[in-house]
Amino acid sequence: MKVTLISIPVRDQEKALKFYTEKLGFIKKKDLPLEGGNRWLTLVSAEWQDGPELLLEPAPNHFEPCKVFQDALMEAGFPYTQFDVDNVDAEYERLSKLGVDFSVKPTKMGTVKVTVFNDTCGNNIQLVEEL
Amino acid sequence: MTFYKKELNRIRNIVYSNEGQINTVIGIRSYIENNYDVNLNLDLLSHIQFVSKYHLLRLFKKYYGLTPRQYLIDKRIEKSKEHLINGISVTETCFAVGFESLGSFSTLFKTKTGKSPTEFQKEQLSRSKIDSKF
Repeated sequence: MKVTLISIPVRDQEKALKFYTEKLGFIKKKDLPLEGGNRWLTLVSAEWQDGPELLLEPAPNHFEPCKVFQDALMEAGFPYTQFDVDNVDAEYERLSKLGVDFSVKPTKMGTVKVTVFNDTCGNNIQLVEEL
Repeated sequence: MTFYKKELNRIRNIVYSNEGQINTVIGIRSYIENNYDVNLNLDLLSHIQFVSKYHLLRLFKKYYGLTPRQYLIDKRIEKSKEHLINGISVTETCFAVGFESLGSFSTLFKTKTGKSPTEFQKEQLSRSKIDSKF
């Protein structure tokens, strides 16, 4: 068994695609039509294109408990997904300039530094740098 | 303040309150990052930070979740992939990232990546040829 896919629930796939590619810098890998206008839409890291894929899935629109869970996480400021970066401070600066909204500024937690932003699609995302 | 921020603060105060220990392990990790290509061992690392090697081993595992040796191996394998992709020979790669025997390098590489260094390199080089053709 291999881990190749990480799922991120989003309310609007097109909007998510724009945010994750244009602001975060991911690259689109797969985009195929499913029923009812839904897509199997995956992204990869620009610097690790044969690494795991991110699946932007419209689950909250089709499965109420997913929406409830996502809303509760958002309300509590809780990230459910995190990405590794080389420099949290630099990403914080770069994304802030692009208008990305941060709920946790770069914060040292022992041997890591973290920051949390809103992906505008229903999720808090954490960036982490190992110190 | 959100629930998450409160939790971050609470956990930091419990788990990460010992600034001295944290600085020690960060120093060790950074030493491994910069010197993975030479012969590193616990004795050397413990001399650098003035702690006993068993204490160092415990501390590193406590804060990074793996032993310094495991951390070093992962670092070397990651770097060896870069060398192999750049067309450096398997033998040169092995010594350039700090391994002392070709046998242990090949075995570790296969365990960690699922392929031998030679297979990995062939696949990467043929992939880049195909990419340039299309």
